[in-house]
Amino acid sequence: MSKAQTNQKVRSQIVEICVNGEWHELTVKPRNTLVEVLREKLGLTGTKDGCEQGVCGACTVMLEGHPALACITLAVECHGKEVRTVEGLAQGEILSAIQQAFLDQGAVQCGFCTSGMLMSATALLEKNSKPSLAEIKKALEGNLCRCTGYNAIVAAVQQASGQGVKPIML
Amino acid sequence: MSVLNYVGKSFRRKDGPDKVTGRAVYSQDVKLPGTLIGRILRSPHPHARILRIDTSKALALSGVKAVITVDDTKGIKHGFVETPRYPADQEVLARGRVVHVGEEIAAIAAIDHLTAQTALELIEVEYEILPAVFDPVEAMQAGAPQIHPTHPKAEVPFSNIGGRTATGWGDVDAGFAESDYVREDRFESHLRTHGYLEPHTTIAHWENDRLNVWTSSMGTSIKRAKLAKTLDLPYSAVRVHKTYVGGTFGGKIDLYSHEYCASRLSILTRRPVRIVASREEIFSAYRHGQPLTMEIKTGVKNDGTIVAQQIRVINNSGAYRGSGVVVIFLAWGFTMIPYRIPNLKYEGISVYTKYTVRAPQRGHGCPQIRFAIESQLDRIAEDLGIDPVTIRLRNARKPWEELPNGDNVHEAGLLDCIKVAAEKSDFLKKYGNGRRTTGTIRRGIGMGVSGYFGGSLIYPNGSGVIVKMNDDGTPTVLTGGIDVGQGSETVICQIVAEELGINIDDVKIISSDTDTTPQDIGAWISGMTYVTGNAARQAAGNVRQKMLDLAAARLNVDVESLGVEDKVIFNRHDPSQRMSYREIIAYSIATRRGDTIIGEGFWRTMRDEPTHPSLATTKGRWSENYAFSCQVAEVEVDIETGEARLIKALTVHDCGFPINPALVKGQIDGQVSMALGHAFLEEVMTKNGYTLNPTWLDYRMPTIHEMAASDDADVITEQYVVGKPYRTKEVGEGLVSGILAAIANAVYDATGARLTSTPFTPERILKGMRKLARENKRRH
Repeated sequence: MSKAQTNQKVRSQIVEICVNGEWHELTVKPRNTLVEVLREKLGLTGTKDGCEQGVCGACTVMLEGHPALACITLAVECHGKEVRTVEGLAQGEILSAIQQAFLDQGAVQCGFCTSGMLMSATALLEKNSKPSLAEIKKALEGNLCRCTGYNAIVAAVQQASGQGVKPIML
Repeated sequence: MSVLNYVGKSFRRKDGPDKVTGRAVYSQDVKLPGTLIGRILRSPHPHARILRIDTSKALALSGVKAVITVDDTKGIKHGFVETPRYPADQEVLARGRVVHVGEEIAAIAAIDHLTAQTALELIEVEYEILPAVFDPVEAMQAGAPQIHPTHPKAEVPFSNIGGRTATGWGDVDAGFAESDYVREDRFESHLRTHGYLEPHTTIAHWENDRLNVWTSSMGTSIKRAKLAKTLDLPYSAVRVHKTYVGGTFGGKIDLYSHEYCASRLSILTRRPVRIVASREEIFSAYRHGQPLTMEIKTGVKNDGTIVAQQIRVINNSGAYRGSGVVVIFLAWGFTMIPYRIPNLKYEGISVYTKYTVRAPQRGHGCPQIRFAIESQLDRIAEDLGIDPVTIRLRNARKPWEELPNGDNVHEAGLLDCIKVAAEKSDFLKKYGNGRRTTGTIRRGIGMGVSGYFGGSLIYPNGSGVIVKMNDDGTPTVLTGGIDVGQGSETVICQIVAEELGINIDDVKIISSDTDTTPQDIGAWISGMTYVTGNAARQAAGNVRQKMLDLAAARLNVDVESLGVEDKVIFNRHDPSQRMSYREIIAYSIATRRGDTIIGEGFWRTMRDEPTHPSLATTKGRWSENYAFSCQVAEVEVDIETGEARLIKALTVHDCGFPINPALVKGQIDGQVSMALGHAFLEEVMTKNGYTLNPTWLDYRMPTIHEMAASDDADVITEQYVVGKPYRTKEVGEGLVSGILAAIANAVYDATGARLTSTPFTPERILKGMRKLARENKRRH
């Protein structure tokens, strides 16, 4: 029997995870990652899968208020825990300040890193309402962006935290 | 000049709200019931004969729905270039032989990932290992293992030549004889990857005798054409749907094997099939950029005026032709644009090696050749005692110069770019200071110039746009133009809003779906804002004219007397005479046999040219829009560790005029970042055709810690007038080039060490400085 076939036989478990304020009871294999569960089982495809190696940060979500890489977080680890994803940031049609700032500063291009960036930035701003440049860089160091060169993203975090940065887009 | 309300302003992205809320659907987000998982079996060897493939065990595995090899294809070849000289050369799966590590051999479709993985392990392949060659200069030697026969028209005594570009003008020998100073240098660039965050993903669904495809791409028209061709289906049987695209940078054009395989597997199984490339597969088996070796001999007068230049470029083009024969053409083009070269002899050679196929990569040859030319120009300037600004101003093209290929540079803003860049960066005051300071951290400043074409002729050659009016008076725009992050949807909506005098929020756009939108050149030939944008302008103008004619008839006034504002057409002499767009549309339907008002627009660059220039001889026109730029880099080098970083970049450019200045700025910042990655951080490390660093942990892309300050200025040379064609110039990829060259020159300025190979690693910088110290010691 091959390794893959052996894996197939592993029994599923039931976990309860609170995602964006709603509790879900889910049947998962021990090998299932949080990003798989969010995307495949809950249909929350806003969380992106960029490398499956825990390097690019596109899959960043908030787990118990802290940023976590959903591609290397096992779903079973999240039992009884609270997860927030990009879909949970806006209140209805009202965008959060950081979402709005990303639009105002041109911090979005292809958009593939955006969800993860927003979650890392939200986690930062919830702890630190006026982060310094060094603190912003520290908080976003695990999120790769290939389009923007990061300048607009930093400006967006500064705008959202009311540090005198004005929107550059109409 | 007319007042503009939408064009020239930094409107927020149309796709922005979808992207910040997670609603935007990328290919990996498309879900269809009953989807099978596809996987690809890849070659573990750089060169081997395939003696036997046995798929029976894989097929027998429960949950496996189909397995294909080349025998299940029609054997139709494809290629990035498909011309009479360079016909398609690549099959969708390997036939009898593999020529690079990771080449696709078989594909399977199964009910889930684990079954697919198990099935892959059950495919038996017997190989006979063949000798391989990796270095292009070695591959060129007589007796080197033959990957493909040398191109019959290459007329060179070498092996493995996939293609050759040979061109020039004047008499270089006479030019060198006439020169006061001649210098020869050799430069090398290295292997880098695109680094798009979204992996290659394709989902294909064969249903009702039609193929539906969602794939991460740079143009759906070209994808449809290539899929239809290799699957031997009519174009109309293939629909490539719109999806958002998570970055491309050149790495998602052309046909990829997985796109064919997902489609073929779906046709065989009648179920949707999804194939996602893992990041390791992308690093190890997919296409990267093109490392060039560049030998440059330049002759100048004592005042720095270029008299003659001889250039030889060797491209390590991988195991199929790919875009290898394009980059050697383009390296000539990017040589020719910015400076006058009275005598030129150029030769570019594309050599097959046992590496993965090469793709275009943002700038496609421009960063490499500008790095070489601009580095040498600084050396020449120093040798002659001229400063870097003066030598560039002396050679820079002036407005309305004719290029040697017959193109015209029109209102070329290069001279202004150089002047403004020198002034804004205080260049001459800072230049040379780094080498005179004594601290550990040295600061250096450098300059680089580049020019870029803006759209050329390659399939599908033109873009169409349709603007259809809804009976509430708002327009819906149908465009094949694909938004890969550059903001094309926003720009097209701005143009339509301007032409129709309508709020941009009222403009709805449907894009890049081959069934519902017209053909489009795509986001890979640096011409979308110009070509598709002008088509959109024309389509909206067509609507505007229809509505003006209708209003004129209804209000019984001349069209010339009418004004347009906020979905209303009114009589300028009597503003109480007015009709809303809604009323005009209703009137049109009532009186014009039901005409609901649909506008159409088409645009093609160089409309009288039959095709793109010859890749081999460069004959024929290339573009009708040339962008120019001068960029300045300020770097810091720690001379103890050799660590260097870009601190500040200044980009002064001529993009004609910006339709959306903030989107232009976004392009500039991204290119500066890409250039600093090229200069200092990124390298796909290989050994014998295997990628040694197939993750972003070991392939270092710039993080937020490497962010550089990026300033820019636009020397506006063109303008937008409602109802008239406009000329915008390229801004999305050429600007990796001048800044890369500027970084190289700045590292020299900081350290005195001239690096002729990228990347500028700490080892190379320290080695360069040690060499310099030895030379100085000898001199004293």
